[in-house]
Amino acid sequence: MEFFLQQFINAMALGGTYALIAIGLAMIFSVMNLINFAHGELMTIGGYVLFFLLVMGMPFGAALLLSLVAAALAAVAMELVAFRPFRNADIVTMLLTSFAVSSILHVLFQNFIGVRPKAIAVPPAISGALTFGTFNVGVVPLISILASVVSVVALVLFLRTTHVGVAMRAAAQDFRTTQLMGINANAVILAAFAISGLLAGVAGALWIFQRGAVDPVMGVMPLLKAFIAVVVGGLGSLPGAAVGGLLLGTLEVFLRAYLPEGLLPFRDAISLSLVIGIFTFYPHGLFGDADAVR
Amino acid sequence: MQVISRYFSRRALLSAVVLAVPLLVLAAATGGAAPATKLVFMNFCFYLIAVLGLNAYSGNTGILSFGHVGFVALAAQISATLTMPPALKASSLPLLPEFLHNSQMGLFGASAVTLVCIALIAAVVAIPICRLNGATATIATLGFLIVVNSVIIGAQGITRGSQAMFGIPALVTVPIAAGFVVVALVLCRLHKDSIPGLFARCGRENEAAAFACGIDVRIARYWAFVFSAIVCGAAGIVLAHSVTVFSARSLFLEMMFAQIVMLVVGGIGSVTGALVGTATITLLTEILRRLENGFHVFGLAVPQIFGLTTIGLSLAILVVLYWRREGLAGTREIEDFLGRISGRKAPAAPMRTPSPTEAVAVPVRRATGALTLVDVSKAYGGLLAVDKVSLTVNPGEVLGLIGPNGSGKTTLLGCIAGTHPVSSGTIRLGGETISGLPAFAVARHGIARTFQTIRLFSRLTVLQNVKAAMAQHRRSAGQRELDGASMDLLREMGIETLAGRAAGTLAYGQQRRLEVARALASEPTFLLLDEPAAGMNEAETADLLATLRRLVTERGIGLIIVDHDMHLIVNLCERIAVLNKGELLKVGKPLDVTRDAAVREAYLGRRSAANV
Repeated sequence: MEFFLQQFINAMALGGTYALIAIGLAMIFSVMNLINFAHGELMTIGGYVLFFLLVMGMPFGAALLLSLVAAALAAVAMELVAFRPFRNADIVTMLLTSFAVSSILHVLFQNFIGVRPKAIAVPPAISGALTFGTFNVGVVPLISILASVVSVVALVLFLRTTHVGVAMRAAAQDFRTTQLMGINANAVILAAFAISGLLAGVAGALWIFQRGAVDPVMGVMPLLKAFIAVVVGGLGSLPGAAVGGLLLGTLEVFLRAYLPEGLLPFRDAISLSLVIGIFTFYPHGLFGDADAVR
Repeated sequence: MQVISRYFSRRALLSAVVLAVPLLVLAAATGGAAPATKLVFMNFCFYLIAVLGLNAYSGNTGILSFGHVGFVALAAQISATLTMPPALKASSLPLLPEFLHNSQMGLFGASAVTLVCIALIAAVVAIPICRLNGATATIATLGFLIVVNSVIIGAQGITRGSQAMFGIPALVTVPIAAGFVVVALVLCRLHKDSIPGLFARCGRENEAAAFACGIDVRIARYWAFVFSAIVCGAAGIVLAHSVTVFSARSLFLEMMFAQIVMLVVGGIGSVTGALVGTATITLLTEILRRLENGFHVFGLAVPQIFGLTTIGLSLAILVVLYWRREGLAGTREIEDFLGRISGRKAPAAPMRTPSPTEAVAVPVRRATGALTLVDVSKAYGGLLAVDKVSLTVNPGEVLGLIGPNGSGKTTLLGCIAGTHPVSSGTIRLGGETISGLPAFAVARHGIARTFQTIRLFSRLTVLQNVKAAMAQHRRSAGQRELDGASMDLLREMGIETLAGRAAGTLAYGQQRRLEVARALASEPTFLLLDEPAAGMNEAETADLLATLRRLVTERGIGLIIVDHDMHLIVNLCERIAVLNKGELLKVGKPLDVTRDAAVREAYLGRRSAANV
């Protein structure tokens, strides 16, 4: 039972991190049909900013906060420089554009920062574990769950109560009509990028707490997983992305915990195959809709 | 013979041969060159096969796949395991089963076994993939690639895990690599012009229209996926046995990106483009790779730059996407370019009809009978768009379906055609229930349709638009017979001179005609026309009226027409059904309906109706 509870906490922590990445991706997709391959690099950028600020001697909390801001700004810069010229292009064009951006960033990180991982000293308060009687639980998973919940609640409040948030929800439903209502498309898209960058920054920080280092291709694996989470949830659906992320994280953690020794190396293959198998029954994802034909 | 001709066309073969010639010349020139040059050529051959394979799926279905490198990796792994000498296997792959340990196969035996394995794997993977659309399918294929990569790395002992697989015999030489390329080139080009390839391209151009023609897009995608996986498998075999060393890491995202860049730069959907794109990018990477270790420009020393080739590929794809989104060749082939250079238009289509002595395939026989709607309803949430409509249309009858905007006319057509599943009630054709069937199955029962907003296969030719629908209906007809019969149909609709044009370039009225022609190609018993006269001027409408009249009398087709042009409706229809707010208000003879007080009220409001 204790083992199960521990694994459950781990599952929610990993699933929550995937969900944060997936929600950021879904957000961008819903307003401009872009599947952003460079999203993982936002995590990396946040990580590097954190690293350099800590090296410069800034306190951990302030450095962390600034790294989140940096990730959000990087997302905005990406939109302005790379994606705006391809606005309204077809999905494949934008997807390849973002892939190219991601590749270029990898090379830049490798050449200007270095191929090797940069260690980040996570304060002992974060890297430690809490003990309740006989029950041990890491602080990082708890922080991950807390950060995911807080981020999602803040996002929901933002989308429901603020003017920009409502505009973004409208834009996700029907972008052209939203524009005809006098909403500034650029503002909505920039806001979406800023938020998705912020979420990527949070996810990146959580990822670094786990690993204690940042390297040029750090964002690739979690991003690939988050992609799968997004499409399983249904492309463009924010609740779908969250559920997809939790589902994938849960599967991964429980497979790692309960698979027989011999099958352990295949846990990613098994979890992804199971998730892709879902498409056989839900071709539009769990929360996706079929297009209307007229 | 007829059946083979559905997969074979001389024109496609010629086109492939024209492309193969420069490759063979290059291969001959490489024959006496240094080993390093040979390796560059064989690497080019490998990429070309891989890109041709990817194009066979992505080009024809319009769905970008990230997963095909997975098949390259699997094939490289499997074939190398089969051809490696037993002594080496014992040390580097200790966990292999006994029968693999002690055997060593030749290149062709190993290739055959490998490709069968790949086909079986692809046949399973394609089951979920072929159901998906657009970006969802793309990401799902990416998932497959990750699965393959982690399986190969995880299965250490049977594979080399994350370490390099080495000691593979160099069985692929320059002539063999060239041979693989030529076979792949010919097969891929034939596949593109084959009937299954045509069906896949219809799905790429317009999925809903393909379904309405009776084409099951998922099946077309399924076979395209399996075929393309086999071609990519061949690429993996060439790679393993020419380079003789590879690791799972080298067959992952980077290679996938290179493969896609080649495809996109050349033009997704063109076999010629695959060749052009692969050649261009191979040249570019070869140059960049030489510069990667630092170089001098105007006396300035540029230091070593990691990943210069990656940057080059990224910039190449950005440049192409920005300035020439459809790639260097677009969806065109070599013959389209040659035709333009020599000053004449590309050969449009064979202008012949099958001679009476030639065996004409008999189309599928269908049960004929009335189209009957019983209490058909369609609800969207709380809104009843169609409310308990009961109606019978007889074969050969012309029924007009009218009603104010939003009265549910298009929805009702959609219910009949199977694009909108009914919420309750049944629709029968003769004795068979067709409600609940998917759109393509309804079409195969003999119900064809046109759309309110024109849905053509825009980048296919006018002839191909009709031919696709006809090929789906006449299952045993060969390409020649289909071409001939399609031309006859175009002639009947008065658009035969446009046969070789891309459908999307036609004028509006011509497009409407083509849509009707395509609907007729499946020889339907009922034809549903959704606002066929919308946007047409008076002369065009009159023209259309005459054509439709002729259809009914000559072919005995039952028509259901939705239109707001009362002149057209009253002149053409024997009966008119009026919908209002989803309910069937009135069915009757045109004059009775137009004089009906309730109908006038629905259209004009109570007060105005009283004054008319």
